[in-house]
Amino acid sequence: MIRTSVIRTVAAAVALALGVTACAGADQNSGNSSGKPSSVLTIQGDAGDPTLTENFNPYSSTQLEGTRLIYEPLEVPSSVNGSYTPFLATGSTVVNPTTIKYTLRSGVKWSDGKPFSAADVVFSFNLLKKFPPLDTTGVWAQLKTVTSSGNTVTMTLQKPNVPFAATLAQVPIVPQHLWQSVKDPTKFTNTKPVGTGPFELDKFAPTQYMEKKNGSYWRAGTIAPTEVKFPAQSSNQSTNQLDVTSGKFDWSYNYLPNVQKTFVSKDSHNKYWFPPGGTIGLFLNLTKAPYNDANFRLGISYALNRSTIAQKAVNGYTGAASLSGLVLPNLKADLDPSLPNQGMVTQNTDQAMAAFNKAGYTLQGGKLEKAGKQASITLSMPNNFTDWVAAATEVKAELAKVGVAVTLDEPQYAQYEKQIGAGTFDAAMGGFGGSGNPYTDFNNALNSKYAAPINTATVNNFERFKSPTVDSALAKLAAATGQSAQQQATYQLEQFMYHQQPIVLLYYGGSWGLFSDKNFTGWPSASDPYMLPTTYNNAMLVVVTHLRKA
Amino acid sequence: MRYVLSRIGLFVLTLWAAVTLNFILPRLMPGSPLDAALAKLAASGQQVTNAQRTALESELGSPHGTVLSQYWDYLGNMVTLNFGHSYTDPTRTVGGSIARALPWTLILVGVTTIIAFVVGTLLGVWAGWRRGTKADTTVTMGATFFASFPPFWLGLLLLYVFAFKLKWFAIKGGYSEGLTPNWSPSFISDAMQHSVLPGITLALTALSGWVFGMRNNMINTAGEDYVTFAEANGLKQRTIALRYAARNAILPNVTAFGLSLGAVLGGSVLVEGVFSYPGLGHLLFEAVTNHDYPLMQALFLVLTVGMLTAIFIVDLLYARIDPRVVRT
Repeated sequence: MIRTSVIRTVAAAVALALGVTACAGADQNSGNSSGKPSSVLTIQGDAGDPTLTENFNPYSSTQLEGTRLIYEPLEVPSSVNGSYTPFLATGSTVVNPTTIKYTLRSGVKWSDGKPFSAADVVFSFNLLKKFPPLDTTGVWAQLKTVTSSGNTVTMTLQKPNVPFAATLAQVPIVPQHLWQSVKDPTKFTNTKPVGTGPFELDKFAPTQYMEKKNGSYWRAGTIAPTEVKFPAQSSNQSTNQLDVTSGKFDWSYNYLPNVQKTFVSKDSHNKYWFPPGGTIGLFLNLTKAPYNDANFRLGISYALNRSTIAQKAVNGYTGAASLSGLVLPNLKADLDPSLPNQGMVTQNTDQAMAAFNKAGYTLQGGKLEKAGKQASITLSMPNNFTDWVAAATEVKAELAKVGVAVTLDEPQYAQYEKQIGAGTFDAAMGGFGGSGNPYTDFNNALNSKYAAPINTATVNNFERFKSPTVDSALAKLAAATGQSAQQQATYQLEQFMYHQQPIVLLYYGGSWGLFSDKNFTGWPSASDPYMLPTTYNNAMLVVVTHLRKA
Repeated sequence: MRYVLSRIGLFVLTLWAAVTLNFILPRLMPGSPLDAALAKLAASGQQVTNAQRTALESELGSPHGTVLSQYWDYLGNMVTLNFGHSYTDPTRTVGGSIARALPWTLILVGVTTIIAFVVGTLLGVWAGWRRGTKADTTVTMGATFFASFPPFWLGLLLLYVFAFKLKWFAIKGGYSEGLTPNWSPSFISDAMQHSVLPGITLALTALSGWVFGMRNNMINTAGEDYVTFAEANGLKQRTIALRYAARNAILPNVTAFGLSLGAVLGGSVLVEGVFSYPGLGHLLFEAVTNHDYPLMQALFLVLTVGMLTAIFIVDLLYARIDPRVVRT
């Protein structure tokens, strides 16, 4: 008896609840597709987990990306070709290979009205020295001193390293008058940020934050958006793709298959730019035979059809990589003109076989063998990097044709990271370069000081390449101040990359910028490539300050 | 009383075993919180350098002390409900993260579990009572159809049609962007609207289990002598079906219902992920990908306690419903 009536009551309650939810489902439509241009800029924001944590500490690894618009660095180098956009500094001079001098902009004010000065710059750098967890770019591994006099700041380095200016220039500057009383800046979430940047925090909510224009910004008159909105993105890729194609963002960063149909055709204002942002390569473990033999690597290199690999991996949005190690066309000014065909190599089985023969391998009944053992490679990559997996699958198929047995190993990223860091892998897919600065790219990937022993973790030079020739070429480039000296040193490194192939470069990884020019114009594009279209790092500051009202 | 005491003893013992396993399992996963943090940077396309690794290492800190002392601290923290700070984001407390996510899961998954149970069971009663008829075939076929959908796939499908194409619902989230959760009617209606699609996904895919279970039990009880006797006495079909057959047939389903209520706290990892729903399932998924041990442990604890409590209550209830369990 009782149970029947309980069921009835519950059934009634359920019917009621369903009715209510059904009624509530009617009025959701943001309707962003018509009407006048808005002065609110909407950028696809950080991924919440699942909601956002309010953190505007510009030195924290968990800061919200919008922090980039609140705090300014001295200068921002372009991730395309390294050319500088000035912010708090009006310019810099390399006094000598260990001394860089910055001239600061005058008349800049913090958003609380206090004046900005050279003391703030010195304070910010010293903060990183005092609290190493904040020093995410490792500036104090290179710096000796930071001092100021009047409106100039002078930085001296422990060793000649001219290209390191790019890293120094990008350290965000915080106000001394507020930060000197912060007890533990490593745990400081800075929920009331005061910066010199073009925007100030307006509102924070768990799934979206908004920033409003800083009226006292030193070039406020040229800043087009009055408000920037950062809705949190989903950690689910398919959900994000639907969100992006529904047209609610002015700027987002997402890989989309068949972008012409899925994005461009949805709205006449939709634009995209997918420039190469780095090089994806096959990293062979150079502490193991036969991978330590350059002839074997050249054999692998000639056996591959890079255009097909790029087609399979990234839909052909980007193409085969130049084996010079430079991202082209971004860094074409630095390319050694003596390299044949801009360092591009086409598939050539005969040349591959010739190289393999030099390494002592011969083709026996379809198998590439040396002393009766077939050449084999276990190739690792994180299972969720679908473009790498697609590229590796094609590499496997192409190497099978020259008799090399490839096994794919697709662990979770953390496991992959552990393998490559410890050096306990055969071969791994990995990224090379993309900083916009040839020295940084070559140094991170090839400097023997990063080649940690097996089972000691390293992120850079995980293939464990060691060469005194390359080390001295890197040192020469680090100390070079004139353009022609820099060029000569860069050429030497390109030649080495091309002929020795310490990393078998495959194709360019893309930078997936999606824009709408309905509200704002001036987005980076192939005809105006001033910055990579990334919605993270300082690219955001440069792009947002570059926009004009549509 | 002895029965109740023995149940309580078992509850405590299982809880300890679960809590201990909960300590061991995350530590068996390959990789560390640091690797995972670097993975996140790399996945977003940023350049990762040794400098970053060093800075992150000192920011996140690594688990210190021997495993035994970690275990001892852990037990102490579990008892005092002090879960500490998250590894992924040292500015965030684990308790706070869970407290923020808990209501969302409790309401969404809880309500849909109840709806699925009630509707599924009623449909099962109906189908079982009219076995072999068109009604039975329709219900059974329909349930089979929805049971064969993986929940996240059905979720994506609904998302595509109703949120992306028709724009009736928002594509993601538990509430509109820019709102802060509160108890105002406008927020509640906004949240309800966001819960429709994930709710339907969860309810539809869970429904079929209840339908099948109930239908099969009904078919068994419908053949019992007391049902034939009731029919011979000229009782109304409806009365026989609901008050006699269904009442006996529902027992196994009630047990299962208790268990699935216990599982509610785990949320639904995949469905919450698809809809970016701010619940415990989504939080768990993020914790696992980020190797956030403190968060993972606290979440598993919540889950285990929820489940054990549900089993405990079902055990006690069963003693009332079916006195035979106490005697044996």
